[in-house]
Amino acid sequence: MDWYSFFSWIENSALGVWMRESPSLWAFPFILILHTIGMAFLVGPNIAIDLRILGVAPRVPASLMERFFVVMKLGFVINVVSGLMLLVAYPTKALTNPLFYIKLLLIAIALTQTMWIRKNVLSADSFPFKGKVVAAASLVIWAAAVGAGRFLAYTYKYLLAGELL
Amino acid sequence: MNPTAFELWLKSTWLADLMHTAWAWPTAESLHFFGLCLLMGTVGVFDLRLIGLAKQIPLPALHRLIPFGIGGFIINILTGISFFTAEPDQYLYNPSFHTKMLFMTLAGINVLLFYTTMFKKVQNCGPGDQAPMPARIMGAASLVFWIGVISGGRLLTFFRPPIISCPWCWFS
Repeated sequence: MDWYSFFSWIENSALGVWMRESPSLWAFPFILILHTIGMAFLVGPNIAIDLRILGVAPRVPASLMERFFVVMKLGFVINVVSGLMLLVAYPTKALTNPLFYIKLLLIAIALTQTMWIRKNVLSADSFPFKGKVVAAASLVIWAAAVGAGRFLAYTYKYLLAGELL
Repeated sequence: MNPTAFELWLKSTWLADLMHTAWAWPTAESLHFFGLCLLMGTVGVFDLRLIGLAKQIPLPALHRLIPFGIGGFIINILTGISFFTAEPDQYLYNPSFHTKMLFMTLAGINVLLFYTTMFKKVQNCGPGDQAPMPARIMGAASLVFWIGVISGGRLLTFFRPPIISCPWCWFS
């Protein structure tokens, strides 16, 4: 199967058509809102944890910040689901844009850093220099991931599969 | 000054010109979303602790994160003003923008209420202490209002004027 057939197959799926063509605010607009709220709850507490490791709010016991992982996990699940739905609506738009893959890569790096921080800094309640470097990098990578997501709306080349022909 | 003259003046400023260059708008959008994350990551986390999550964290200690939330808010005011200056009619006559401003006002009133009535009491909330009920309600209200602000912002592009359900438009 070529790319055109693959993309147009996804675009013409029931979910894809509903997401794109339904005039309801509960279709595309609501899923977009969810994607932003999920981001706020995933990236937000992550920033708080990074700031704590970098020395802000020193009286907050780092090990207790693990409690916010519930919220971050919820944000992550919301964003995987809402992100997949946005992808089904416009597969050509996302998958033909190199920036989309960069965004996914940045998220993968950021999540790996977060899990490393959880294991080696928060649980241990110790702040080695290496932990501070990872926390600072985490802030930068998350900011880049968020920025990459925003730039997707301005950098795509093809909106729908038909444009590939 | 009537709304149209105001819009024309805004659009004639250097900031409007800057915003219409290729990179400015998406860059400002990226900053706007990172500011949102800063705000929700500090104020939102503080709200969650007020409500009762991670109760072992002393509230005054967690409050030290708030200046970064204010920083995020300032980033968003500045980038927000930039969007508004470049395309005033896209916001002035957009019911989604009005809703966003309404939620921001509610969030602001909630902040004032919290700092005038509850902040001192909350300063005594050490490890394991539950915040007083009014403070817990204000924490929950804060989350709801900021989510309202985010939703209003995200819906802007789906309510682009001209649209009839816009109270401002009746006077212009």
